Amino acid sequence: MDITVQDSKRWMGARLERKEDLRLVSGQGKYLADLVLPGMLHAVFVRSEYAHARITGIDASAARALPGVVDVITGEEIRAHVKSMRQPVLLPNLPAKYPDYHALAVDKVKFHGDPVAVVIARDKYLAEDAAELVVVDYEELPVVVDAEQALAPGATKVHDAEADNEMFAMSFTGGATPEEQAQNGSEVQRIFDTAEIVVSNRFRVHRTGITPMEPRGVLCDWSLADGLTAWITTQRPHIDRLALIDILDIPGERVRVIAPRDQGGGFGVKAPFYRENVVIAYAARKLGRPVRWIESRYEGLMNVGQERDQINDLEVAATRDGKLLALRNRGIANNGTGQTGVYWGFVMPFLGQVELPNAYTWEKGDIKLRVATTNKACLTPSRAFGHFPTRFALERSIDMVARRCGLEPAEVRRRNMVPKLPYTTITGEYYDSGDFLKVWDNLMRQVDLPAFRREQAAARAQGRYLGIGFSCGVELSGVASELLVPMENQPGYGAATVRVDPRGKVLIFGGDAPGGQGHETTVAQVVASIFGIDPADTLVTTGDTGSTPFGAGTIGARAGSYFVSAVHKACAELKEKITHVLAHDLGVRATAEEFAFSNGEVIYLRDPSRRKTFREIVERIIMFPVNLPEGEVGGLESTAFFEAAKPMICFNADFCIVEVKPATGEFTIKRWATSEDVGNVINQNIVDGQMHGAIVQGLSNAIFEEFIYTDEGQQLTADFEHYKMATAADVPDIELSYASTPCPHTPLGTRGIGEGRPSSVPGALCNAICDALSPFGIEITELPLRPSALWTKIRDARATQR
Amino acid sequence: MELKDEIRINAPRAQVYAALNDPDILRQSIPGCESLQKNSDTEFEATVTSKVGPLTAKLKGAVTLSDLDPPAGYTLAGEGKGGPAGFAKVKARVALADEGAATLLRYEVKAEVGGKLGQLGGAIIDRTARKLAGEFFQQFESLVSVPVPAEEAAGAAAAMPARAASAVSTAAVWYFIAAIALALAAWILLT
Repeated sequence: MDITVQDSKRWMGARLERKEDLRLVSGQGKYLADLVLPGMLHAVFVRSEYAHARITGIDASAARALPGVVDVITGEEIRAHVKSMRQPVLLPNLPAKYPDYHALAVDKVKFHGDPVAVVIARDKYLAEDAAELVVVDYEELPVVVDAEQALAPGATKVHDAEADNEMFAMSFTGGATPEEQAQNGSEVQRIFDTAEIVVSNRFRVHRTGITPMEPRGVLCDWSLADGLTAWITTQRPHIDRLALIDILDIPGERVRVIAPRDQGGGFGVKAPFYRENVVIAYAARKLGRPVRWIESRYEGLMNVGQERDQINDLEVAATRDGKLLALRNRGIANNGTGQTGVYWGFVMPFLGQVELPNAYTWEKGDIKLRVATTNKACLTPSRAFGHFPTRFALERSIDMVARRCGLEPAEVRRRNMVPKLPYTTITGEYYDSGDFLKVWDNLMRQVDLPAFRREQAAARAQGRYLGIGFSCGVELSGVASELLVPMENQPGYGAATVRVDPRGKVLIFGGDAPGGQGHETTVAQVVASIFGIDPADTLVTTGDTGSTPFGAGTIGARAGSYFVSAVHKACAELKEKITHVLAHDLGVRATAEEFAFSNGEVIYLRDPSRRKTFREIVERIIMFPVNLPEGEVGGLESTAFFEAAKPMICFNADFCIVEVKPATGEFTIKRWATSEDVGNVINQNIVDGQMHGAIVQGLSNAIFEEFIYTDEGQQLTADFEHYKMATAADVPDIELSYASTPCPHTPLGTRGIGEGRPSSVPGALCNAICDALSPFGIEITELPLRPSALWTKIRDARATQR
Repeated sequence: MELKDEIRINAPRAQVYAALNDPDILRQSIPGCESLQKNSDTEFEATVTSKVGPLTAKLKGAVTLSDLDPPAGYTLAGEGKGGPAGFAKVKARVALADEGAATLLRYEVKAEVGGKLGQLGGAIIDRTARKLAGEFFQQFESLVSVPVPAEEAAGAAAAMPARAASAVSTAAVWYFIAAIALALAAWILLT
């Protein structure tokens, strides 16, 4: 019997092939663009070619005259019929100057790509042609694209109604009042005054982010009977539904949002609530016909996926023996227009500063952030939400401290790592559980550092430059309501409905909306292990607000922590009922723990001959609810909500080994190795895949991808020729290793993983390159890391050394 | 962001300057030029259609001339708008010098290309601009330097001073906007 019981657990941690993959690799995925409704019209947006200009007139007569064009809608019409985008449901509880704006630009355009009008036509090609016939008269205005210039007195204002371009400013340390902060600031100053080592640098990280394979899209249908049904490529359908209700002023029971089952990636880009949703919903209601918009790659690169774009003036104080004392940072974020629902661009840099202290202990810190509105596209969330730049700055600074101390950077990290959790950082971030030193020591076992130093010295003697670089990262593993309510004005709990089918199958409904993370497989494994059934006998439905419980969405690594835990909770309730009825039927007094769910059977452990198949007992409860235990009723369906008291974390550490060619500045990554605390693993393939993807994204952001704007605000990187992403040939093999600690706050010991993971990549990479080039004394403080820039630094260093 | 170049035109300077001020010659020389209209001595409007890579850009624009110094040169500032295709802004100084019996045309251009045109990127824009420039000068030189039948020559000679006295035509500008600006953008993007 023991063997059978063990079998029931085998799904946890298994490298199960993803249930999603057969349909995806055989061309049977059903994405938004696969949805076609009878009589459906197609929308194409007319977007501004200027970064900042007054709209003096829009002549759509030629477009309207084109046969097949049904309508052309401008900002003025939207303003007259639809509320503005600044509605409470989309506003964080953070003190920012939230610009009021409409779904289409009114009065003036504020960035290159700003939507000015939308053409609705019988087919997409026609709509494209008609969009070119819409004549918009612009009166150009001065443009501000640089964050510091935007914050300077007298700068051109992006939003006329605001006093200036400072959209958000905050101190993250020292208390709530200015007096307390000033006191803290002077205490930090005293530490710096007496510190043996102070490292001060201006770190710049360019504008880069994420480009999901599938761009955005919206399909809206309006009917008298059902109201609005909106299919949206989104990570948070329930929030989108509330926003549509409030902005379009539609009674809530008449709005249903569906995120398609298959979405080609989200990575944060599909987490905000976008203006296009409102425009398409308005058009569908106005015209009484389904209207669909599919974003082109061009539009996508112009409008979304742009993040980072920060300056961090970071100072670190330390002792000569490598003890970190204090840090002081003045962050400046270039937010673009700040016109994106839920995040408004600044929430990312906000969290970036919160996460600055990373895994190290600090006596004190003085951290401040200013966020500027500029004539660029608004920042949108991108995996490694906000802290890609701050972590780069900090991890580089640690290496500079180590070099000044004459210590191994790895050793400085270990000496300063938070030794025991839980721990609250100087910015108030709560680290719930785990073991940083265990992860770190596991990483150090992946490399023989003294041997590498010998190899490095030998190589240098031959004129070759090898280097090793380290970094680590504490990442949020599902954001609790405690943080999500202030940060995004949304609940953090996970939600799941589990419905047992009379035929012995299990249907799971989740309020999140995955974009390729493998929820169907992961959840199937959890349910299979609980009920002792096969993962194939489950079906996971997500994304439909009409059938799923309310959930905040697929964001911030919430699946492995919150969603899965809610599923577990719902299953546990059902298990209780099943065993209660079974005990009654068997005529025994037994608790749930005295039954095993294994191999499709429910077994009474005290007498394993007494058992029923899972199907028999669930069918009996659902279909034949007679002779039940007293007080029990039939049916097997449960909805559960899971919440953790505090945010949870996961942790990782990286090292890489590079070789740099000083003659050209080119570099090769020879090894990339990691150590991860991911808690208990449900599906090892999926976890590995998250790590691979995250590291590749980190490399691609650091080395290749860059959104480029001219001084006039012209965005020059609107296709994949100019917005270069890493390919398989550009990235190294990745050696993953795990040193996990089960999370004590989730029922399965799991952690959510993968969201923040890219952020430790640029630190390790640049630390390795600086280590390789240490004979030249080169310190990298800016991204992207281009061989040309590196070559210039090497040339300059050589000139100084001569 | 500047572009400088010089072209040798096989005709005397006065003739080149006159031709640069001749809307008909310029209209014929500028690839894709659909219209040229003079609004005042120093203000012009023009329409040029160019196929640049996947884009067909119909640029409508205005040009203003200044620092007129016949027959030595002038400064022009122009702005063309192509709707969704984008826009171009150009500032150029054109100078003519004698080189024996021929004329050396030097130009310096500062340009900004925006919208989709600006996003096409180096290779396409550069190739297009070179092609357009080549076509322009080939046509311009053939119209300026090739001997014409006596009657027409007389007519042209009679007409020319009057035209020269008026300001320089926009067409020259349009060549610069459509072609040189694109070349510049390409150049900027590549460097």
